[in-house]
Amino acid sequence: MADQLLSGIIVVECGNLVSASYAGKLLADFGAEVIKVEELSGDSARKSGPFPGDTPHPEKSGLFLYLNTNKRGVTLNLHAPKGQALLQSLCARADIVLHNYHPTEMASLGLDFARLNHANPGLIMTTLSYFGCTGPYSHYKANELIASNAGGWAFISPGASDYPELPPLKAFGHQADFQGGVHAAVATLGAYYHKCLTGEGQHIDVSIQECIAAILEMNFMHYTYAGKETSRLGRRSIYPWCMLDCQDGKIFVVNVEEDQWRRMVELMGNPEWATLEIFQDRVSRGLNYDALFPFLQEWAAEWKVADLYKAGQERRICFAPVNTMADLFASAHLKSREFFQQISHQVAGTLMYPGAPFKPSEGGWALHRPAPTLGQHNAEVYGGIGLSAAEIEELKGQGVL
Amino acid sequence: MSRLPLAGIRVTDFTWAWAGPYCTLQMAHMGAEVIRIESQKRPCVSRLIPSFADEVPGPNRAGYFNQYSQGKKSLQLDLGRPEGIEIAKQLIAKSDIVVQNFSAGAIDRMGLGYETLKQLKPDLIMVSICGYGQTGPERQYMGYGPASVPLAGISSLTGYRDVGPAEIGISYGDPNAGIFGAFAAMAALAYRQRTGKGVHIDLALWEALLVLMPEGLMDYAMNQSQPERDGNRDHWMAPHGCFKCQGDADKWVTIACGSEAEWQALCQVMGKPELATDKRFANVTARKANEDTLEALISEWTQARDRWEVTELLQKAGVSAFPSMSNKDLATNPHLQSRGYLVQKEHPEVGKRIHAGIPWQMSGTPCEVRAAAPLRGQHTDDVLRDILGLSEEAVQKLHEEQVLV
Repeated sequence: MADQLLSGIIVVECGNLVSASYAGKLLADFGAEVIKVEELSGDSARKSGPFPGDTPHPEKSGLFLYLNTNKRGVTLNLHAPKGQALLQSLCARADIVLHNYHPTEMASLGLDFARLNHANPGLIMTTLSYFGCTGPYSHYKANELIASNAGGWAFISPGASDYPELPPLKAFGHQADFQGGVHAAVATLGAYYHKCLTGEGQHIDVSIQECIAAILEMNFMHYTYAGKETSRLGRRSIYPWCMLDCQDGKIFVVNVEEDQWRRMVELMGNPEWATLEIFQDRVSRGLNYDALFPFLQEWAAEWKVADLYKAGQERRICFAPVNTMADLFASAHLKSREFFQQISHQVAGTLMYPGAPFKPSEGGWALHRPAPTLGQHNAEVYGGIGLSAAEIEELKGQGVL
Repeated sequence: MSRLPLAGIRVTDFTWAWAGPYCTLQMAHMGAEVIRIESQKRPCVSRLIPSFADEVPGPNRAGYFNQYSQGKKSLQLDLGRPEGIEIAKQLIAKSDIVVQNFSAGAIDRMGLGYETLKQLKPDLIMVSICGYGQTGPERQYMGYGPASVPLAGISSLTGYRDVGPAEIGISYGDPNAGIFGAFAAMAALAYRQRTGKGVHIDLALWEALLVLMPEGLMDYAMNQSQPERDGNRDHWMAPHGCFKCQGDADKWVTIACGSEAEWQALCQVMGKPELATDKRFANVTARKANEDTLEALISEWTQARDRWEVTELLQKAGVSAFPSMSNKDLATNPHLQSRGYLVQKEHPEVGKRIHAGIPWQMSGTPCEVRAAAPLRGQHTDDVLRDILGLSEEAVQKLHEEQVLV
């Protein structure tokens, strides 16, 4: 195997669903050796779709398959003392342990940093939770929906909403969990660099609520700088910034600078209305959005999405198609960058997966192995820490593996 | 062990707007010396747009810049001048990491491309962020953060039922590219530590969002279809929504039941134990089939109550619930306060203002925001003298020649 950015790093990952799993995937896809520890019933991502034909199957969850590429998978009962002893053995040779068990239950599952660190002083343990390990809400329960609201994102979504009676809206998927995962991976590798220099491990407490509150654009400062309580209701301060209907779908356009608007007017064929006083700068266009939007819409309706996208971008105007999944798989640009990658899984079969988040000049992203089936690497991994085949069978019988 | 994890790491920061600055902010949080190169000839848009402190405009008063430049230094330098490029090169030769988010190819045209910089610093780590990446037929396209959301398919999957694709309130492509850029730089640092080699990272806003869309993309890969937009609802859980509460019109609480036990507990807390045995809500399949009725019943209960009261009652009973937080709610929140997340550092022009801080805590190398964002050019002389070793006279001459503007 070619040398990758994170080759040689050993990681143990425990927990359920997205946040810790994605942090583990990032490390694994760039070369770290990641051992995924699942409860005997399996990671709950296995119960979460999409599934082929919408029929649940623990080895066919699209979410699980995606999140666990390049990892080896073992099962372990963390409620059993023997299970916790095995977890400690796995952690004894690891650089990093990632988990997203609730802070109130981690110690009872053997994820006790003081003890693990005593056995392996270089160990970095990263805990991902919705509200962090300290503070008045640290015992609260949450999930993706709760976190995207607790972090202040949903309250301002959808932007410039026309529907005051409708609630704050979460973005599709597990964006809060994913942000927790990427932020955790950043902090973990920062701590890993420190370990490379000093040999010292440590515990990292990542709050997903805080990760979301960190990415609210200017939202925090609208309050702390100008005393404004913002919401999803209201208007864009600059304009155009909207979706428009074309003949065959929707397109998005945003003009940030005045020169972009001038080129947009030119693309529209320099219509008479564009000379009106009320459209003279981005702020007045924002104030007079109601007057401007019908002109833009009438013009866009004559176009096909692909043609307007190209015509706009060739004039350095920021248009973007409102892509469906099918559009993305068909994109010539993504094809030329070899974004989607195929891999074959023994139960789920051969599928195209989303690929590298970025491209390093060397040491890059690679798919070496599909997600593990439940307990697939028990023999290999537990054999690797000295258990005989008979001992593994015995632990299986005792409900430990 | 109290030194910061990235103590001793120096970053030359050519970034602007949001994606790049969010990337280098993570490095500043972990103790790297981040030197942001700015010019008043081409000021960063984040210094120009509101909100300004007390609504008085000024390049050092913009909340946007001051949030995402906490703990960084500012070197004012005209990169349109050969002397400016020369100084940038000298600084890069003494840096570990360079981050830039100009459009594809622009930094090469400035004479600061990776191949050139590698000659100055063979083990340099460089992160290049742009909308579409450095290669491919659309590499020259403009890819602002708000546009990357519909581009990546997020809008086509997000929205209220029957209303159409939605924007999601933030220019998500930007901070997301920023955090991935920080991850890439940290991974490259581990690689450099092990191999002695530098790396150039090509990061596209578009792709960095696509990797967070497996539920949509894998559905298409498996079924050649994509999920319907369905507001806050979840395919596998019910109830799962955001409900109106007492108070002015825009107070809401989120409630999610991921198990039967949570549903049963919710019925008890609402004082409606009969719902727990109601056939319409007997299991998640039934509750999904009757979700409109279910949500109406819950709303009836929440609307008569304060959102914090609902949260406390439900959390006590083991049900996931929390208010939908506004910016004011966050900035005044006791939990975030108690965790030290809300940061106020003295700033010469805007005083002490609350900013979002660091979303992680490290036990061994506690990260902290070390200073407020820099005034424009605040560290120009210090950097030239202390890092590049220029004499007072040489610095003075550069000022007179209008290189440091």
